[in-house]
Amino acid sequence: MGSLLEYSDAVKLVREYGIEAPESRYVSSAEDAVDFSRGRSIALKVISNKALHKSKSGVVMVNLTGRDEIVDAFNHLKSRAVRGRLSPYRILAQVMAEPGTEIIIGGSTDAQFGKLVLVGMGGIYVEVFKDFAMRVCPINEYDAKSMLKELRSRSVIAPDRDTERMVVELLLRTSKLLTENERISELDLNPIIIRRGGYSAVDIRVLV
Amino acid sequence: MNMHKRMDILFNPKSVAIIGASQNPDKVGHVIMQNYLDMGFSGSIYPVNINADGRILGVKAYRKIGAIDGGVDLAVIAIPAELVPSALEECGRKGVKGAIVVSGGFSEIGRDDLQDRLTEISERYSMPVLGPNCLGVMDLRSRVDTMFLPTFKLDRPKIGGVTFVSQSGAVGSTVLDMISHEGFGLAKFISYGNAAVIDEVDILKYLIDDENTKIVLFYMEGVRRGREFMEIARRFTQIKPIVIAKGGITPEGSKAAHSHTAALAGSAGAYDAVFKQFGLTRANDVDELLYFGKIFDTEARCTGKRVAIITNGGGMAVLATDALYNNGLELASLTKESEKKLKRFMPPIVNVRMPLDMAGDADDIRFKAALDVVSKDPNVDMIMVISLFQTPGADSRVAATLIHYKSETEKPMVVVSPGGNYAQVHNQMMESSGIPVYASPSTAARSLRALLDYSEYVRLTGEIYGSKKRR
Repeated sequence: MGSLLEYSDAVKLVREYGIEAPESRYVSSAEDAVDFSRGRSIALKVISNKALHKSKSGVVMVNLTGRDEIVDAFNHLKSRAVRGRLSPYRILAQVMAEPGTEIIIGGSTDAQFGKLVLVGMGGIYVEVFKDFAMRVCPINEYDAKSMLKELRSRSVIAPDRDTERMVVELLLRTSKLLTENERISELDLNPIIIRRGGYSAVDIRVLV
Repeated sequence: MNMHKRMDILFNPKSVAIIGASQNPDKVGHVIMQNYLDMGFSGSIYPVNINADGRILGVKAYRKIGAIDGGVDLAVIAIPAELVPSALEECGRKGVKGAIVVSGGFSEIGRDDLQDRLTEISERYSMPVLGPNCLGVMDLRSRVDTMFLPTFKLDRPKIGGVTFVSQSGAVGSTVLDMISHEGFGLAKFISYGNAAVIDEVDILKYLIDDENTKIVLFYMEGVRRGREFMEIARRFTQIKPIVIAKGGITPEGSKAAHSHTAALAGSAGAYDAVFKQFGLTRANDVDELLYFGKIFDTEARCTGKRVAIITNGGGMAVLATDALYNNGLELASLTKESEKKLKRFMPPIVNVRMPLDMAGDADDIRFKAALDVVSKDPNVDMIMVISLFQTPGADSRVAATLIHYKSETEKPMVVVSPGGNYAQVHNQMMESSGIPVYASPSTAARSLRALLDYSEYVRLTGEIYGSKKRR
């Protein structure tokens, strides 16, 4: 069974492959979180091996602006973590991404065929709607395009050529990352928030 | 050992020893021997049975394979599993060039130890071994038939370009029986069972260079060498199509998943991904193997998704139009010029639009006129003719007209012809002339879609994968 890669290391890893993740760091106190925000809207997340699907466990708070909101959220998360027996845990502060469409790009390992890369509608309902396409790594541009073509949500995920090119590029980078890092058994970039002209991988989970 | 380079002996032996041949008609070895005789195999046949005394089915029998004078190309082994390893060892010592182990009782019932011995002996003698627990092979050209199913129970197909490969013997024999009632012919049948030695990768590596195989229909439950399978599949589909039905789809793979991705992926998902990525056509059931097999056997390729529908029955055309759109295809719209020409030939009651309903009294002249125009229209990628033989105007001349245009046009063309005996007679005429005939618009549309997907795949990946076109 794999173990979860430290969040900051996971961010570093995806950035090495040119995948953009929002600025983030662990914060040690409510004050520290306020310092981090510098007036920007932020999210706070409890990071613990015992809370694998964060939004399901209610340990993520988003769109926090201003000192009071941040302090309240920090204290709330702390008590949630204690009550949920999530120790050892840490709290991560992250700059909020611009709003957009949530997609998932991920990777897993098949015993027979090796690394797989996946794309689909993202967020918390991925396993409900199961609208995704998958290929074996490494993929080429044709593969990436045909993956998008396969999705029911293709017109939502890639409504125009530029966005399509951007998602194709993201898929190629993810495939490269998975191919070159044999030890990664599972990867979730979920969600990646995409919008016209940009995207942000706001939650990253790497199992090694 | 390059197994696939040695496999040809399984299909083209000059001499065959049947180990377990018997005078007793209840024995598998008896049926296999009888089939060799029935098929008119022209090489030498040596029945081998430990208790042999004199002749089996009129042919001189041997107690041991070693006792046979002269060489033996192929041994077909149908004796209890416990005895197989020593028999195979004797084959090796005798210098037999290949063996087919029909017997069951190996890893499928947990006797991995027995099966491992077959693998070891095969390697030691560089002797290709098919099976165990399989039906073996059938090659109608060389008249080799190792199946233990008598010819009166299981019809043998005619000779053609379709090779059918099946991991399972049961699916294998059933589909084979069905194929013999379809319009297309068989190149080879391979049932490979437990794959102790020869597996799906070896088989595809062998078939990619087999001149007689134009398309492959495949039933499998799993792949042993995933990476190598993908490599050969990628090369294979650039040259000829593979239609594949995969059994044993279980959610097992997602049990241990920690992430959304792994939960979605599962092991069925991985196969699905591989098939899509490397251009294999997925069949969801055995009947789809045959539907898709028929259309691929014509060797036609599509240029696009615009389908012309020509019919003598309006209601069927409505169903067919729905079927097209349900499968991501489109109704073609004819050029102005085509419409003008059609108006000249059709009676005033016919509206010359797609779908073209030529009315219930349409005869071969009307079919001919319509096909003449539509088959030349640049706005048409594929043709679906719905000929209802129950109508007053439709008779053998209509079937003959369709056969004529099928050979004329480059565009993929299918016929939908549901019905009873009268329709069936004409369907057989058309099928044996190479027209894929379907009983419903939806099966026809699904098959056209499969052909389109494959054609597009080859067109779009040809450059990337350096396609070597055979035709």
